[in-house]
Amino acid sequence: MNTQNKLMTAAEAIGRFVHDGDCVAFGGFSTNRRAYGLVREVIRQKKKDLTVESGSAGGDIDMLIGAGCVKVMNISYIANSGFTMVCRRFREAVETGALPVEDYSLDVQTIAYHGAALGLPYVPVKNMLGSDLETLWGISEEERKKYPKLPAKKFVVAEDPFEPGSRLCLVPTPKIDAALVHVQKASPDGTCRIEGARFQDEDIAIAAKHTVISCEELVSDEEMHADPNANTLPGLCVDAVVHLPWGAHPSQCFGYYDYDPAAMIAYDKASRTQDAFDAWLAESLCQDHAAYLKQIGEERLSGLKIDPAAGYVPGLKRK
Amino acid sequence: MEITRRQRMAVALAKEVEDGKTYIIGTGLPLIGGSLAKNTHAPDARLIFETGILEGNPLEVPTSVSDLRLNRQASVLWPQFRYFGYQTLAAQRGEIEAGFLGGAQIDPYGNLNSTCIGDYFHPQTRFSGSGGANGIATYCDTVIVMKHEKRRFVEKVDYCTRPGWIDGPGGRAKRGLDESKGPRAVITELGVLRFGEDKRMYLAEVFPGVSVQDVLDNTGFDLDVSRAVTAADPDPETIRILTEVVDPLHVMV
Repeated sequence: MNTQNKLMTAAEAIGRFVHDGDCVAFGGFSTNRRAYGLVREVIRQKKKDLTVESGSAGGDIDMLIGAGCVKVMNISYIANSGFTMVCRRFREAVETGALPVEDYSLDVQTIAYHGAALGLPYVPVKNMLGSDLETLWGISEEERKKYPKLPAKKFVVAEDPFEPGSRLCLVPTPKIDAALVHVQKASPDGTCRIEGARFQDEDIAIAAKHTVISCEELVSDEEMHADPNANTLPGLCVDAVVHLPWGAHPSQCFGYYDYDPAAMIAYDKASRTQDAFDAWLAESLCQDHAAYLKQIGEERLSGLKIDPAAGYVPGLKRK
Repeated sequence: MEITRRQRMAVALAKEVEDGKTYIIGTGLPLIGGSLAKNTHAPDARLIFETGILEGNPLEVPTSVSDLRLNRQASVLWPQFRYFGYQTLAAQRGEIEAGFLGGAQIDPYGNLNSTCIGDYFHPQTRFSGSGGANGIATYCDTVIVMKHEKRRFVEKVDYCTRPGWIDGPGGRAKRGLDESKGPRAVITELGVLRFGEDKRMYLAEVFPGVSVQDVLDNTGFDLDVSRAVTAADPDPETIRILTEVVDPLHVMV
């Protein structure tokens, strides 16, 4: 088999494929399979001026905001659902005017990411019409000139050429520089397999110029190629494979572990003020992923391993 | 045992679910209401979720529509673009009966705000945003769950995240939306509100122990209460299923 070895450390992958000023998209959904391990490395490397695309963001994006990595953001939702209903560093940044955001709806972002993965310049939708998502732009056309990674307009409303009188919203598809996605299995040539709900992850990985994958399990190319039907992405769409067991912690990972309520609750507290966040980050970021896992501790992690029959940890204390 | 307001809300939500029909459900009380319906009068109701998890049957209450708990006995775990394509098509064909939504502010025409309090550009309080609710409100009938407070039931929402009936009859068509779809009911801890021919909210039911005046005191706009009746108490078996089968850990009710 003609393989190309894309295996590298998180430090190397983020160093090579995420640059200051990039448009970066993140996989997962709220508290499920967020690429926390890679996000922590982005923070360690103090990347800045990022334009963030994230369909249904969680605490990982909130950490990036708190750490000062984000310049501007396209958003439809950001919460550690069930633990923090509106992520707090995000909230303060928007309320103080420090972070410009553009609001879309999750359906529009999903369709736009799919359009980007199809190579389309824009997608025509009816969504957003009639609401303030149509009439109020978080970032005006004039302001957009300051953000080269954003499209020049939020969208254009036009008449459907095939149905005169019918209005459509033409939404530009994002130009993603890098996608960071955590998966269950990957092999050195970049082939990867997402198990459970896949959210928008295939689309952002295909659309992005560069895709960095972190994986729970590293398996051989032969093993992955023996069952292509089960695979999600070919190595052709992947630039780096980083082996990060528990790389989605404290979020969930289908087939492996549940969310970590203690960590979610601790973050809810720590993110209430910038000072508390800074102190928490200094303590919990650690020098690398191995040190991070050591700090969490084996005992706590083993309590999060799913019951294979249930698919989660039955009776997990969540409050 | 006394029936709590949240239990009454869950029962009212369940009543909005008809057997054999399909509903878009979010987490929280809507999921409890949907599960209660499936465990009582509507075993063949189909519950679908914006994460692409279709027809999941959770045993433990999920904290999010992405929660692994929701996967149990699901029919498919679709990539999200498939889900939204299906949602758009099925809604237009009339195959989705309603979507269940929540919000921070609502106006008399059922326009909902889940984006911010105050000026959008300098918000006093910023919320998480639309999530998938804008698309649901674009294409589907909706059932809305709200806390009943004066500052939430307002003449005009600070930001319209999800369009309701806009400004009355013809309002949706004017903005490019399907005029035949829109908000159907608003369920609060005080009772159930519905929409009349004029597309304005009116009080349909108050829960036992709640007066019409309580509702008026907590509503920030003119509300027609002439059709209000007191809701019947749910039967004990329904409450037993709610508290012992649907939410035995009392996460939500």
